[in-house]
Amino acid sequence: MTTSRGSMRSLTSWKTVFRQYRIHKDQRRWQTTLDVSAVSKSAPLLDITPPPAPSVKTHRHIKAFPPRPSTWKRCKDPIAAVMASQMTLLDPTGARKRLFHRSNPESAKVGDILLVRQKNGEPFSGVCMNIRRRGVDTGILLRNQLTRVGVEMWYKIFSPNVSGIEVVQRKAKRARRAKLYYMRKPKHDMGSVENIVRVYSRQRAMLGTAGAKKDAQSYIRQKKKVQKKGKGKKN
Amino acid sequence: MPPRTPLSWGTIPSLFLLPPSPRSMPCQSQRRTIRSILKPPPKPSRFDQSAKKVPAALSVSSSLNRKSYTLRQRTGVLATKKGMTALYDIESGKRTPCTVLQLDRCQVVSVKTREKHGYYAVQVGTGYRSPHNINRPLLGHYLVNEVAPKKKLVEFRVKGKEGLPPVGEELKASWFKVGQFVDAKSQNRGMGFAGGMKKWGWSGQPASHGNSLTHRAMGSAGGSQGSGSRVHPGKKMAGRMGGIQHTVQNLKVLQVDEENGIVVVKGCVSGPKKCLVEIQDAIKKPWQTVDLTLPMSMASIREEAII
Repeated sequence: MTTSRGSMRSLTSWKTVFRQYRIHKDQRRWQTTLDVSAVSKSAPLLDITPPPAPSVKTHRHIKAFPPRPSTWKRCKDPIAAVMASQMTLLDPTGARKRLFHRSNPESAKVGDILLVRQKNGEPFSGVCMNIRRRGVDTGILLRNQLTRVGVEMWYKIFSPNVSGIEVVQRKAKRARRAKLYYMRKPKHDMGSVENIVRVYSRQRAMLGTAGAKKDAQSYIRQKKKVQKKGKGKKN
Repeated sequence: MPPRTPLSWGTIPSLFLLPPSPRSMPCQSQRRTIRSILKPPPKPSRFDQSAKKVPAALSVSSSLNRKSYTLRQRTGVLATKKGMTALYDIESGKRTPCTVLQLDRCQVVSVKTREKHGYYAVQVGTGYRSPHNINRPLLGHYLVNEVAPKKKLVEFRVKGKEGLPPVGEELKASWFKVGQFVDAKSQNRGMGFAGGMKKWGWSGQPASHGNSLTHRAMGSAGGSQGSGSRVHPGKKMAGRMGGIQHTVQNLKVLQVDEENGIVVVKGCVSGPKKCLVEIQDAIKKPWQTVDLTLPMSMASIREEAII
C-alpha cells in the first residue's frame, strides 16, 4: 500500500520523522533550480558553486623487507644431499655404485647371474630379475632354486650387510624387459644356478688372489655343508 | 528456617537475668533482623559486568592452566616434505626408512601474549611471497614486524612467555636435535570421492551367491522402527576422503643439516611431496629427552627441568 509521504508521517516516532525530513531536505536542496538571469551578478542569492570533486584516493606505498637467502635455492635436492652423505659412508670407493650404474657398459644388468656375499650368513646367488634404482636405497631381486623350490631374495646393494656383489655370468643377449618376472613361469624358469656358480668360484679360486681363493673355498665349503644338511633332513 | 526448639521455661532464668543482647540467646541462634532496619545489599546494575563474579573454574587463568598440558614449551617450525629415502646404520647394518623435510626461511613473524591477546603463541612464517601478491593489511603486518612477506603463516601456541622467541628470529634446522622426538602435522593426500569400502575399510558384499550389482555398496544405513527409522548422525558413508590434517606423533630426528635446512625424521609423514609440514616437539615424550636449544629467557626453565 502506498500512501503519500505526508500521511505516513507519524508524530509518535520522532526519529523517523526527522530522518524522513533530513532525506527530503537533501533532495530539496539538490532539486533547487535557479533562474540565473533573474539573479543579479553582484549579489547572488545563493552560492551554487558545484561541490569540489571527490579527491582520488592515493594509496601510500607500503615498503616490504627483502627476503633472506633461500635454503631451497641453496640445496635444491635435499634427498640427493642426504643420499650423498650416506653414500660416502656406505660406498666410499664408489665401486658398488659403478657396478649398477647405467652409464657403465660393464654394469650388472637384469638377466645376469649375481652372487651376493653377506657379512652374516652364507652368500646367495641367482638370476637378477629386477634392479630397483633408488639411490642409496637401490635393491636387486635375485631368483634361484634351492632344493627345487624357487627362491627370490631382495638385496639392498648399499646395505652394510652386503660385503660383496659379483657377476657370475652375463646374459648372452641383452634382456628386452626391465623386469624379468616372466622367469617365474615354468616355461622360462632358469632353475638352479648352483652349477654355474660352482664352476665360477672354482675358476676364481684358481686364478684369483688369496683372498678371493679363500672366499671361494669358504663358499664351496658352506655350500657342501648346506647340501649335507639338506640330505640329513631328507633322511 | 530451621524449626524452633521448644523452650522449657523452667530451666531458663527470667529475661532480666540474661545478658543484654537478645541475639546471644541459645534458642535464637539464627540472626533475625527487621527489614526496615537492615538494608539489603544494593543490587548490581545488570550492565555492570565487573560486579558479576566468574566462578574460579571458568576464569581465563584456570582454563589456560587446564589446557597447558597440551601446549609445548617451544614453538614449532614449518618445513616442506621433500620425499623419502633410507638411512643405514654402519655397525648393525640396519636400514631405517626416513622422510626428508626442508626448512626455508622459517622466521618468527610476531608473537601473541597473554596480556594483549589472551594467550601465548608464536606466529611463524616460511618461504617468500612477492609483495605484489599480498593485500595491504598483511603487508603492513610484515612491515611492522620487519620481516619479508611470507608464503605461509602458522601460529604455534606455547606454554608461557619464556617460549616466545624474539620477533624476526630465523628458526633453523638446528632448532631440533638429533635423537629428539617430534610430531609432524600435515594435510594428507586427497583421495577425492571414495566409496565406503575404501574410506572406512568395509568388506563389501560377496561376489557371488546370488549377488548382483551390489558388491561394493554400503549396505544398510541403520535400523528401522527400533532406532527411529532414520539415519543417525555421524553414519559412515561414502564421500570425500583424505585431504585433512593428520599428525604423526613421536618421530625420531635422525639427521639435522642447518646449512641446507634439512631435518630427517624416522618413518613417514602424511601428505604428498612439497606439502607443508608443521614440526613440533613431541607432546607425548618427556620434555628433556635431549638438550634442546631454547630462547634466551628459557634457560632457567631448562635448568629446573634437568634438576
